Amino acid sequence: MRAAFSKAIVDAAKADPKILLLTGDHGYALFDDFRKTLPDQFINAGIAEQNMVGVAAGLAKAGFKPIVYGLAAFVPVRVLEQIKIDICYENLPVILMGDGAGLVYSHLGTSHQSTEDIACTRAIPGLTVLSPGDRFEMEATMKFAFNLNSPVYIRMGKSDRGDIHSTALALSAGEILKVREGSGKTAILATGSMVRTALDLVDQGLDAEVWSVPSIKPLNAAQLNGIAQRVGCIVTIEEHSVIGGMGACVAEAVSATFALPVFRIGIEDRFSSACGTWDYLLREHGLDLSSVLGKIQAFIETNHNPDMR
Amino acid sequence: MSEFNSRQLRRTVLEMAYAGSTVHIGCAFSLIEILAVLYRNHLRYPGNDPQAVERDYLVLSKGHGVMGQYACLHEKGWLPKSELDNYFGDGSRLKGLSDGHVVGCEVTSGSLGHGLSVGVGMALAAKLAKTDQHCYAIVGDGEMNEGTMWEAMLFATHWSLDNLVVIVDENGFQAMGKTSEVMKLGSLQDKFSAFGFDTVSIDGHDERAIESALAQLKANKNGMPKAIVARTVKGKGVSFMEHQNIWHYTRLTEASFGAAMAELECAQ
Repeated sequence: MRAAFSKAIVDAAKADPKILLLTGDHGYALFDDFRKTLPDQFINAGIAEQNMVGVAAGLAKAGFKPIVYGLAAFVPVRVLEQIKIDICYENLPVILMGDGAGLVYSHLGTSHQSTEDIACTRAIPGLTVLSPGDRFEMEATMKFAFNLNSPVYIRMGKSDRGDIHSTALALSAGEILKVREGSGKTAILATGSMVRTALDLVDQGLDAEVWSVPSIKPLNAAQLNGIAQRVGCIVTIEEHSVIGGMGACVAEAVSATFALPVFRIGIEDRFSSACGTWDYLLREHGLDLSSVLGKIQAFIETNHNPDMR
Repeated sequence: MSEFNSRQLRRTVLEMAYAGSTVHIGCAFSLIEILAVLYRNHLRYPGNDPQAVERDYLVLSKGHGVMGQYACLHEKGWLPKSELDNYFGDGSRLKGLSDGHVVGCEVTSGSLGHGLSVGVGMALAAKLAKTDQHCYAIVGDGEMNEGTMWEAMLFATHWSLDNLVVIVDENGFQAMGKTSEVMKLGSLQDKFSAFGFDTVSIDGHDERAIESALAQLKANKNGMPKAIVARTVKGKGVSFMEHQNIWHYTRLTEASFGAAMAELECAQ
């Protein structure tokens, strides 16, 4: 997925000299190709993320198309006010890329983990929020973002979980992508790293259809309602807080029309208490495969009632 | 009467403030001469178009001085009198802080420490596009409390933005009191110089001094960003407002409006 991101920005910047890449002194290996190929379009803004976002806004006002890269804990969370005022209020075509979202920096602790970035960004008017789950979604997401001509936040989480699609795809605004059929009783909507988890659950015998949600805002409400109308319950899974994340978006949208149980699985309202591998932290937060399976089975047993619809 | 006459600009500010019953009068009065000189002699707007692609940029990072800028935009012909008269009226698009949606205002500021970074970005854009555009950023001395200001200064020097002119409206006050009491700034001239800026310090109400500082600094195409530390008086131009921080917050009454206007009618 990271290679797809690198290729997407190199290809786009080669074709359009107005595209600039700004980084807050992060992305050492990730940007080797960009720096070598397009040194004049690469700006290391130093360890000063707030200024970097303001500078990107100024560049965009003067006709450039900046991509601002940082760790998700910094871009967008540390620089949220600059995103709101300098970029979104002016509706400037800036792409914000937050890398390492979720628990990716599992050994480094809370400062580098990012489990609130969706909640923070989705409330800002005019900001599109995207969360690709594999290399094909990354390609499609970047293409979508470059064509948008308005502010976008792209959340890149755990990037080595393999493909969830088998072929290249195109993304339309708010589109939810079906990645596995089911009997129709339960729909799992997952985003980013957790789409792979959802597929693994089904491979282990859980009866559910699986959808990937690469576009958190906007979210295609008609498509979502189509799913809600058919199934008995919806389960959402994300490597983000259950407060204000993708699951919250789904629940908010569905509840406008349906009395349908929506069960949100994600990081509960707490920080990581210890460090360890990414897999370890998933277990700590109950996001590993068996914990998620147990939660879903318990939920379905107690709540699944087709007559509730 | 010359273009951008400072007494006329102050009268316009007073009329707006009285019409809208607004605050921030002292904050606007300290930067009137700076604005007058910039608009009269330096800011280039081809075709008198505030959105011309090749225009110079004026960033009012100290967004709470915006009434001074509105007065200048009115004189440029970009803001009708009717909008000034309806200042702060329901539905008015003129807000109490610089707003990028108002044509002629480059940034949305007021949350301090934003405008300079955006201005640095516009100056960098001009350098990358190899144009001769300048970016003038007016910042407050209180605003220099913000950490982003120093980030922006480092960046401007690193990228050799000698087309950036930062003008500090050093009126010695911030919201809660004197800058020397709230957060000691020391010598801003020394600090800008230490950060790699070509810096001069002047009387910010002496238009000839402002003009000569701008001319001198802009002639130095030496890769160094420019800074003018303009010593100013909060509330300048009306005797009972000068050096009185209360005019950051006070609204005009019929009596104080009349007294202030009378001083500005007869002052030379």
